[in-house]
Parts: sequence; C-alpha cells; structure tokens
Amino acid sequence: MNSAKDILLDWRLHASVLIITIISELIGVIKVPIGIGSILLLPLLYAFVLGLLINPNVVRRAGAWMGQREVRAASPLIVIAIMPFIAKFGTIIGPSMERIIDAGPALILQELGNLGTIVLAFPIAVLVLGMGREAIGASFSVAREPNIAIIADKYGLKSPEGAGVMGVYVIGTLFGTFIFAILASLLATSGLFSIEALAMACGIGSGSMMAACSGALAHAVPDMEETILALAGASNVLTYATGLYLCIFVALPVTEKLYALLGRKTPATSELGE
Amino acid sequence: MSDSDIPVDHESEFKPDLAQNAAMLAVVCVIGLIGNTVATDNTLMQGLVGMLVLFVISMIGLLLTLTVPFKLPSVAWISLVGIVATLPWTPGSAWVLDKVSHVNFLTLATPCLAYAGIAIARREIDIARTSGWKIFIVAVLVMTGTYVGSAFVADLFM
Repeated sequence: MNSAKDILLDWRLHASVLIITIISELIGVIKVPIGIGSILLLPLLYAFVLGLLINPNVVRRAGAWMGQREVRAASPLIVIAIMPFIAKFGTIIGPSMERIIDAGPALILQELGNLGTIVLAFPIAVLVLGMGREAIGASFSVAREPNIAIIADKYGLKSPEGAGVMGVYVIGTLFGTFIFAILASLLATSGLFSIEALAMACGIGSGSMMAACSGALAHAVPDMEETILALAGASNVLTYATGLYLCIFVALPVTEKLYALLGRKTPATSELGE
Repeated sequence: MSDSDIPVDHESEFKPDLAQNAAMLAVVCVIGLIGNTVATDNTLMQGLVGMLVLFVISMIGLLLTLTVPFKLPSVAWISLVGIVATLPWTPGSAWVLDKVSHVNFLTLATPCLAYAGIAIARREIDIARTSGWKIFIVAVLVMTGTYVGSAFVADLFM
C-alpha cells in the first residue's frame, strides 16, 4: 500500500504527466472529417494514449522508465487530478443557473435516458451474442465505480454478473473517452438531436467521459460553448446524485425481469473468454 | 469483502487525509497551470490566480465530503461549491468568475487522462483480453445507449 508521501515524491510519475500534458496541448485539437460528420481528436485523448505508451503493462519496454510503483501511484491521482476540472465546471454552471432552471424538466427526465443501456445493449447481448447472466451486469448501467459497487454487493464480483460489469468497466476505462468524443462529434454534426439535448446527455457520471463528450461538442459548435458546458456539467452533477438510486431501484430490477423473459431458461455456465 | 474483490476501483485503494489530498492537489494544479499556459493565451500569472481559486474550491469540497454526514462523492461536493461560488446572487461571484475565466476547462482534464493511462494495471489488460469481443460490443452499445437514450429523452421534453 502506498503512502501519500510516496506518491508525492514520485517525481518520475509527475514529470511524465507534465511532459505528456505539454505535448498533448501543443498538438491541440485535430478535426478528422468523415462521411456523415467529423470526429474531433482532443488533447485529453492523446494524453491517455501517451500514458498507455509509457505504461510498462502495455508496452514492456516502458519498464525502463516506469515501474509498477508508478502505475500504482497513478491510480489515486486520477481522482485528485479531475478535481480542479470539476471545480471549473461548477463555475460554468453557476452563472447559467437561470438557463439550467429553464431546462429543468428535460434535464431531470433525461436521467431516465441512462436506461438506454438496457434498451440497446441488453437484447443484443442476450439474443444475438447469446450471453448468459453476465449480460445483466454488462448492460444494466454504464459500469462506473458506483455501479460496480451495486453488483459487488448483490452478486459478488466473482459471479457472471460481476464478470459482465467488470468487462464493460474496463472497456469503458480503455475506450470510453474515445467513444464519447466520437459519438458527440458525429451526432452534433448530423443534426439528429438538438445541441442542448446532446449536451445534457454528456452527463455520464464520469468526469473524463464528460470532458471528452462536452469538449468535442463545444469544439463542434463553438458558438454554443457556454450553454453546452453548463448543461453537460449540470447533468453530470445530477447523475452523481441520482445515478446510484436509478440503478438500484429501476435499472437492475428491470434488467433482471428482462432476463427472466428473454434469457436462457436453464442456468448456463459463463461463456466469457471463449 | 476483501480488497482483491474490486481489482480496479481506483477510488477505494487508499484514503488520503486532508493534508495529503491538499499536497497531491497542489502537484496536479501546478501541472494544470503549465498546461494552461502552453494551451492558451493566458499569462502564467493569470493562470496562477485562477488555479488558486480552483484549488480552494476543491479543498472546500473535500472538507464537505469529510464533514457532512450526507454521503455524496467528493466530485459532487466540489461541483456544488463551484456552482454556489458563481451563482449570480452570490456576493463576490463576479470576482471568482473573472479569475477562473483564465483557466481553460478542457486543458484541466488532460493531466487526469495521462494519469489514467499510466494507471492501467496488468489485471485490467487481462480482463479486457479474456472478456473478449462480445463484451467489447456490449460496452460500445452500453455507451451509445446511455448517450442516445439521454439525448432522445431530453429532446422530447425541451
């Protein structure tokens, strides 16, 4: 177990993050036009990739510079490093309070849209991919830390449900920022939804995913940057507050019911990792 | 439940006290300040004052996390402090807004993602590898589902 002093003194870690930050910011935002719109590549995405490239667990040769000590020390700093960002987001929400109150009903009700994970992912997981009970853990939520806690509490993480939630958690950790940046920039340029609605949807309950999502939106529609950030930030705060309860009282029971309806009638062994 | 049950819960690995949090936050703010100076036209001095204000907001949020019995994650408290400090009817909100306006929001997320990339543990790589392509597809659908679902409902009620 690391003491905070060790983490503070880990100059290699902090120096690496500093250099990665400088390089990423110097590259800046890159716009990649594709058929139906354009994808925005943001500095925070390069930072994640550069972080992976010097991670000894990903690139073995990086072990010469970074060890498991640095890898362990980096974990608690993710939460610390998002704090100034979240504070800044609060200061974007405050001045726009009137606009947020105007959007109130939509803002509150769109929390229910988080159940879209079940609508879209669950039937495909069970009916198309033939997954067993891991489909419940995988698709009842967007699988961030609070959702893992719910599954751990109810089924244990060694269960099929636990394998499902951990799988989606890890994929989200590895690819989530990219997926949300791509989704946001594509939908913003497609005109399918209003920009305000897309901004509210960026409140995912994960700081870095919200950053990628709202950052991509704000760069796609620069005129509306203030509105986008205010609505995304407000929605994210709301998700922090309501997400857990929505999951416990609605999402998980609904997913269980659906599994009883669509899932295998006989208990099957896990098919993960085939 | 033993520690090994949640292999990648970054938030529960250790609980730093307030002073340790302050020290780590200061390191992160210095990196953010340099990033902000590189990425934007703001001077180092403007950025420094802005970062100091954000540091204080974060610390008040952390203090509330520790003292208020009502359980909310620290990030929720920090955003609430940031919101209250900049509400139009809060005294001094114009000053706070002016100071933090010199710090770019997206730049602040860059160091966080760098730490996140470095923090990927071998176990997480193993989980991604053994979960296979089915979990990958489901994860992409889960993220698309929450995003499109929320945008759809928001559009209906606006």
